[in-house]
Amino acid sequence: MPDRTSPLLKVRDLAVSLGRGRARREILHGVDLTVRAGEIVGLIGETGSGKTTLARTVLGLNRVDRGTVRVESRPVHGLRGGALRAFRRAGAVQYVFQDPLQSLDPDLPLGRSVGEALEVRREPGIAERVADALRLVGLDPDLAGRLPGEVSGGQRQRAAIARRPVVRRAPAAAVRANRSARSTRRTRTSVLELLARLRDGNRVGQLFISHDLGSVAGVTDRVAVLYRGHVVETGPTAQVVSAPTHPYTRLLIGSAPTVDGGGLGRAERAALRAELVGKAAS
Amino acid sequence: MGAVLRHRLGVASLVVLAAMVLLGVLGPLLAPQDPLVQDPSALLQGPSAAHLLGTDNLGRDVFSRLLAGSRLSLLAALEAVAVGLVLGTVPGLLSVYLGRVFEWVTLRVMDAFVTLPFLVFAVAMTALLGNGLTQAMFAVGILISPVFYRVTRAAAFPVAGSQYVEAARLTGAPAWFVLRRHVWPKVLPAVAVSAAGLLGSSLVIVSSLTFLGIGIQPPEPTWGGMLATDLEYLYQRPTAPFVPALLIILTVGACNGLADALRDVIGAPRGGRVRA
Repeated sequence: MPDRTSPLLKVRDLAVSLGRGRARREILHGVDLTVRAGEIVGLIGETGSGKTTLARTVLGLNRVDRGTVRVESRPVHGLRGGALRAFRRAGAVQYVFQDPLQSLDPDLPLGRSVGEALEVRREPGIAERVADALRLVGLDPDLAGRLPGEVSGGQRQRAAIARRPVVRRAPAAAVRANRSARSTRRTRTSVLELLARLRDGNRVGQLFISHDLGSVAGVTDRVAVLYRGHVVETGPTAQVVSAPTHPYTRLLIGSAPTVDGGGLGRAERAALRAELVGKAAS
Repeated sequence: MGAVLRHRLGVASLVVLAAMVLLGVLGPLLAPQDPLVQDPSALLQGPSAAHLLGTDNLGRDVFSRLLAGSRLSLLAALEAVAVGLVLGTVPGLLSVYLGRVFEWVTLRVMDAFVTLPFLVFAVAMTALLGNGLTQAMFAVGILISPVFYRVTRAAAFPVAGSQYVEAARLTGAPAWFVLRRHVWPKVLPAVAVSAAGLLGSSLVIVSSLTFLGIGIQPPEPTWGGMLATDLEYLYQRPTAPFVPALLIILTVGACNGLADALRDVIGAPRGGRVRA
């Protein structure tokens, strides 16, 4: 059992480039990030900030230019081929896709998709464990035989989440909760609450990825703000929300609409943008 | 497959094809006479009780020869489709997975195959490998493989880049697992439609080749070969070419009908999209 403070996921000075030839661009420029056991960390940034690239790199879907990714102290950024597959089969890092319409095979019954990881690992008792996982996310186990197109959007979303608890050992999980126009803030929040319930005591660390600080503020312990491939600010959620230090974070928080109209005025936002441009130039 | 049985054209096509296959399989048992035995006393006769469809220029029983010919012609067409299926589908699937070099090379090779004319290539191959229907149809199989390659690639490409394939890979699934579980079921319907259609085309090619006397040793009966002989003796037996021609037309029509029925039943492959 990992200690509450031991880092499950530790990313140090991570630089990643994508694209080929002349189109190749560095997306992450030396990112540091830590997720400890029992902790939920929010990774916030606008479209194009590198959130998804960071998540994909942690999962071994991108090559690393520089820096390290460690899962439970084990370096995983250089894994290839069979070693990478073995690492993934072990289930130390899992990914919950935000968009279940695309992350579930439309021609496979939900149960088959949920139990896929067990099938890959040739584990016994798949049917019961799939049923347990479906119950855990609040779904009727009878839905296991349905195709994704035959259930509602919310049920699909829960089925996509059930792919994670079906694998018992699950120290760290990366989640993408993003801009998808389909998910309203309400369903997104309920999904986040559902995921928060799946902390499995204090064994699992979770990384929530979103463009919307507001929707993850309620469930995260800490947040890291990603801007143009740099982590510009990180700290306990309450502190970052109440006293943001970086102009981008202030802009992010100030741009969110609030009931009392307490957001930033147009002039203030323009000033923050100017400050950002100044920082980028220097 | 059950849905094909509720499709009128599909049922009709399957019945015709089943009849042809039965003729091919049971031909030697049903044939009243040895298709190769010559009878100099009964050349170019019309239909009679002894010879249901008459005799040819060497006094051989036409009905027996048609039965024997159906087996050879159908097997040859099947061989071409099987060769094309393997040579097209396997690289088609791999081109999506093995990276850019393999993709580029196979694409160029397949493009080159498309430019080659069937008959000329088949003739050249029989010159190279020896005269025989097997060799000729192997050549035809090579030339139809680009169809399977393209169809497979087109169906596999969107699946390979999909999130559910990514999700499967993230569970540590090896490539063969992903191919079998997620990719192949999306590719199969498209391949089945192509296979049925190409079976008809291959039969036309077999008939053309054997009509020209390519890939066939003289006494062996095939539909195309018989058609050629019948045309030579058109003056003596003016109605004779109708029977082999009809068989060819019926079988090819049934293959195309089956392809259409499959396409109707399957509709647009479901891969990648579901109702929101």
